[in-house]
Amino acid sequence: MKIFQVALGILAAIGGFVDIGDLVFNSAAGATFGYQLLWVVVIGVIGIIVYSEMCGRIAAISKKAVFDVVRERVGFKAGLVTLIAAQVVNLMTLAAEVGGVAICLRLLSGLPYRWLILVAVFGLGAVVWITSFDWIERIFGYGGLCMLVFAVAAIKLKPDWGAVAHGFVPHLETKDTLLYFYFAVGLLGAAMTPYEVYFYSSGGIEEEWTEKDLGLNRANAIIGYGLGGFLSFALMIVGGALFLPHGIGPETLGSISLGAQVPLGEIGLLLALIGILFAVGGASIDTLFSGAYNFAQFFGWEWGRYRSPAGAPRFTLGWMVLLVLALGIVMTGVDPVQLTEYAVIFSVVALPLTYLPILLVANDRAYMGRYVNGRLANVLGGIYLVVILAVSLSAIPLMLLTNVGQG
Amino acid sequence: MRQALLLFTLLAFVLAGCNGGTVDQHALDNDSESIDSLACEGALLAGEIANTASLTNFSRVHAGELYTRAANFEDALSTRPTTPGIEKAVRAEAKKAGRIAALFDQLAADPSNPALAAKLEPQFTKQGGCT
Repeated sequence: MKIFQVALGILAAIGGFVDIGDLVFNSAAGATFGYQLLWVVVIGVIGIIVYSEMCGRIAAISKKAVFDVVRERVGFKAGLVTLIAAQVVNLMTLAAEVGGVAICLRLLSGLPYRWLILVAVFGLGAVVWITSFDWIERIFGYGGLCMLVFAVAAIKLKPDWGAVAHGFVPHLETKDTLLYFYFAVGLLGAAMTPYEVYFYSSGGIEEEWTEKDLGLNRANAIIGYGLGGFLSFALMIVGGALFLPHGIGPETLGSISLGAQVPLGEIGLLLALIGILFAVGGASIDTLFSGAYNFAQFFGWEWGRYRSPAGAPRFTLGWMVLLVLALGIVMTGVDPVQLTEYAVIFSVVALPLTYLPILLVANDRAYMGRYVNGRLANVLGGIYLVVILAVSLSAIPLMLLTNVGQG
Repeated sequence: MRQALLLFTLLAFVLAGCNGGTVDQHALDNDSESIDSLACEGALLAGEIANTASLTNFSRVHAGELYTRAANFEDALSTRPTTPGIEKAVRAEAKKAGRIAALFDQLAADPSNPALAAKLEPQFTKQGGCT
């Protein structure tokens, strides 16, 4: 039973970790710098594991999700700033993911994009309304596993494995230093997007974790995000082995899917499209829930999918309003891929406001009792906070200086 | 609250600042690289249609998307003002983008025709100077 529960967590993490932002940044980083930036994915994955484990532990022990903690630890005013920043980024990400779902459906069906945006929004709304939390994890997690086709594609493309290994060591072999750092910041932002911890900690409460589930929490965080990171490596290797030598900058989900078609043919393409559809669909639901969780936790409303919609009416209204707003944004014709690039960079700015309260509460015996952070978690948490702060200060200047990564 | 306002202002600034304006050498170089990238992707897509099998809907939609991007470059580079001395190069790049758009248009119109794709592949390669 425990193994099954871990498997569910792993599947949910894969579906949630590899969203449209990861797809775009990892493929584009590979196409621009080859394997040079693989080390950044490692840093991002360790960071999200450290903080997810922490907020999962907080959820299991104190029964508080991230925004309960933010409100209690930083006060109403600073908490409100965090909430606004988080919700702006969440909404941008949600709109980008919904657009991504519509693009995938269009690549599969050939039907008009705007109609498919409506199909995506109503489909996601129906899934959230009808389906239980467990089944949402299963559907999108299992579907997202098709993304493993990119790992097979990466191997089939026969990359220079020596160069791949060298990519795990930080180094700089380019004259375009600013662009290199822009991608490094984007990759870190994509790996540590705040909605992942909002969703993860609230999910722990939805699943009624207790101190008995701390091992499960650790396994979910390490294996789940580890596998997510593995897929990110695969996407970057495909970018470096296929797109870079051909002089292609993959800027669309169709281009990214070609990365599986070239080495694996039609079946590779089909699996890639299905995998992307479920991964991006899963991320849509993660961001949708995260937005509603954040509002409800901050303002003290009833929340959770384990309650009926009538049992948590403001939470239900919250996700519905967010879905309608996302629909409005995507319907303007904004390019979801471009939107996700902005969302990832702006999410970096919101990172310290999210992660600092988690670190503080994980060290607070009043909340955590004997389950406060150990030395390793504190050292890593502290180092990552410094990294996050440096990255958040440089994100927007780098975006402006590199013309959003266009050089 | 101020931080949130700053975030909104910067977002509006960045979004509003995209596109348009005078084409300088740096912008021309970037656009030229993007146009070549589109052509090389066209070669890859056409090669897949010609040599293996591809999902028809995917090929039509993706070729159509790449057509739109190439056509947008053609429109922008044909009309936007340029810094002195580079207008001829900018307009030449616009024509190249137009030729690439035309190739994508043919591919999108008949995406399950391997013979046509085989004919278009070297043309994409030539236009983009692809390796």
